[in-house]
Amino acid sequence: MNDIIIKNITRIIIPFAQAYGIFIIINGHISPGGGFAGGAIVGTSLILYTLVFGREKGKKKFSHKTSEIAESGGIMWFVTVGLIGLFIAGRFLTNLDAGFPEGVIGDILSGGMIPLLMIGIGIKVASTMISLFNLIIDEGI
Amino acid sequence: MNIEQLPIINLLLFLLMALVIPLLKRRPFKLTLILGFIVLGFVFVSSGYLLWYVNNIDIIHYTFGGHEARFGIEFIIDPFSALFTTIIAGLATIIYIYSSGDATEGIEKTEYGRYYVLLFILLMSMFGILYTNDLFNTYVFIEILSITTCAIISIKKKKDTYTAAFRYVMMNELGSLSYLFGVALIYMATGFTNITLIGETMQNAYALYPVNIIIALSFMIIGLGIKAAIFPFHIWLPDAHSAAPSTSSAILSAIVIKVYILVFVKVLFRVFNIDILNEMNISTILLVLAGVGMIMGSVFAIAQKDVKRMLGYSSVAQMGYILLGVGLLSFDGLRAAFFHILSHGLMKTALFLSVGEIIYYKKTRKVNDFDGMGFIMPVAMGVFSIAALGMIGIPLTSGFISKLNLGLAVLDHNQVIFLVILIISSLLNVIYYLPIIILAFLKNEKYRYRMKSIEDTPRTMIAPLILLGVLIIILGLFPNQVMILIEAAVNSIMS
Amino acid sequence: MLILEKIIDNINYIGAVALFVIGLRIVVTHSNLIKRIMGINIMGTGVFLFFVAIGNVTGGIPPIINNNQINPVYINPIPSVLILTGIVVVVSITVYSLSLVIRIYENYNTIDQTELSKLMSEEDNEH
Repeated sequence: MNDIIIKNITRIIIPFAQAYGIFIIINGHISPGGGFAGGAIVGTSLILYTLVFGREKGKKKFSHKTSEIAESGGIMWFVTVGLIGLFIAGRFLTNLDAGFPEGVIGDILSGGMIPLLMIGIGIKVASTMISLFNLIIDEGI
Repeated sequence: MNIEQLPIINLLLFLLMALVIPLLKRRPFKLTLILGFIVLGFVFVSSGYLLWYVNNIDIIHYTFGGHEARFGIEFIIDPFSALFTTIIAGLATIIYIYSSGDATEGIEKTEYGRYYVLLFILLMSMFGILYTNDLFNTYVFIEILSITTCAIISIKKKKDTYTAAFRYVMMNELGSLSYLFGVALIYMATGFTNITLIGETMQNAYALYPVNIIIALSFMIIGLGIKAAIFPFHIWLPDAHSAAPSTSSAILSAIVIKVYILVFVKVLFRVFNIDILNEMNISTILLVLAGVGMIMGSVFAIAQKDVKRMLGYSSVAQMGYILLGVGLLSFDGLRAAFFHILSHGLMKTALFLSVGEIIYYKKTRKVNDFDGMGFIMPVAMGVFSIAALGMIGIPLTSGFISKLNLGLAVLDHNQVIFLVILIISSLLNVIYYLPIIILAFLKNEKYRYRMKSIEDTPRTMIAPLILLGVLIIILGLFPNQVMILIEAAVNSIMS
Repeated sequence: MLILEKIIDNINYIGAVALFVIGLRIVVTHSNLIKRIMGINIMGTGVFLFFVAIGNVTGGIPPIINNNQINPVYINPIPSVLILTGIVVVVSITVYSLSLVIRIYENYNTIDQTELSKLMSEEDNEH
């Protein structure tokens, strides 16, 4: 696409979209939203970039290898946080009993492990969105 | 580390193995294979240990994050789930050893890694389905299972696999959405998704909201029936199972559809209790479906020229046998059904793997080309014959024991008509299995001058086949040890 | 009047079941593969709407702790959370089946089930 309006508007929108996505991810435990919704917004912004500037430039920003590592890394992070609970308190995904700080209700740093999990889910969802899109346009499935 | 952590560690090991395989892409493939074998071996040993533990010491309840069962997800490891996870782990190990012998027929070399990723996620979801005690969690695992199954079917980049996989996706999605609708209706009436808690409140809920419960039951029967390939809903199975590579056909036919029928058993006996089922006369419906399936599956199988499609239709008939046992809604019936799940798992694995070896070396899947095959590939054809005789129900094989038990259970309930159907279905089995065996060993015109090319296959492919053949016969000769475990499983599911 | 009241009370459930049935009809009767995928999506939406409607409490507010409220009535959040998982599943099913449709189109040059079956049976006869 060689439309200058679309290109410029996209350039302006993408930072805001990504900031909004990250905001939703880290506020996931105290307001509606969370890892999935925020991750989907971040992923969509990357898809928008690829749509407007073409696959080649999109590859430079977020290559196939990066998305593969981010996908595996998201789950690994989730499992690791869960395993901390298993080793300290004896149950997979134990939250407060495993020593995660409770904090004050309503603060960003509260709710024990949940913000950590949200970040993992956000990374996983964002990278999955973009890699599914890439797989379909590369026809590599 | 506590014994009760073992189930979750099994699941996580499968998941981590699936995640590690893509990262090992640059290393030699042998490393992946060895690592996968270690994981599978560990899981087999640990589920065997869990089986011993739950039968002799205590049932394990595992709640995630220490939340109460009504808020969180609960795993229950009882004789039922421990027995079937052990069986699945054992069969999967055998199939894994076979597939490491470079026999993942029809898959490109670059796709091997992806095949094993899918295999391990498949195993993880099946373990999850059996361990979990939560209806919605079951739904999530079922969906993971169906997506990975579809991917494993379409991994062979061929024309017909895509259409087969598409049909499979559509049918299975209908099934899982129906199941989810059932879960929603039950949640509406009882307010729980935990199976134990639902079971406790079901009688009250049935008195208050009978319409909800009846509709939920019918949605669940249809949903799980589609997934388990019960007769009128079987149309996706033959295409899907014959299009997949032989090793995955073995997994799909021998394990995956059994997992759905186990969920079905769990739903019938733990969610709805027997009084409600008897009141609605569910037994008759299930028995009729089973009877029609037993006959029609075999009739369709006779007409097939492609050997893998024939085995697929034979699976439909065998699911009818299992449903017959379940549909009696009694101790004897369930015992026979569970035994048949095990013995059919062994026999179908043996059949698909031996056929896979023949397809791999002789590049033929036509039934007619099997003439004289017994002289060129004695091991593969020998194991095929043992398993096929087991399917027919010849004494000394495990198939005989399961048919005997089924027949006795049917007689106990005075359902003589189903005994007749059982015998007719066995005779139909004779019609399509016996000619293959006879022609393979007696008709030696085609390959008379080529006796030199006697099978020269890797040991990793021969050993699992021989093991399967021996297991089928051992199970036919000494079923009592296994029967004790199965009876414990039936007791735990019916209490 | 009684019937009308009942309909208004249960409008969520009726809508959900209607969506489910519409979706089912599309999946079963249409021969266009893309429309079938849409049908699955509509069916899924029906089930999700049903699930979420169970958790609704008349006059309830979203279950977020807020000190300004005195004796708040919260809606039941569990169905919504469960359905989030369901939505993820249906999204992945949709992506997967769309990619299959792309493949089918490359190989057969059609996405119509009846033409597809015809082509496949012709190929079977050639063998």
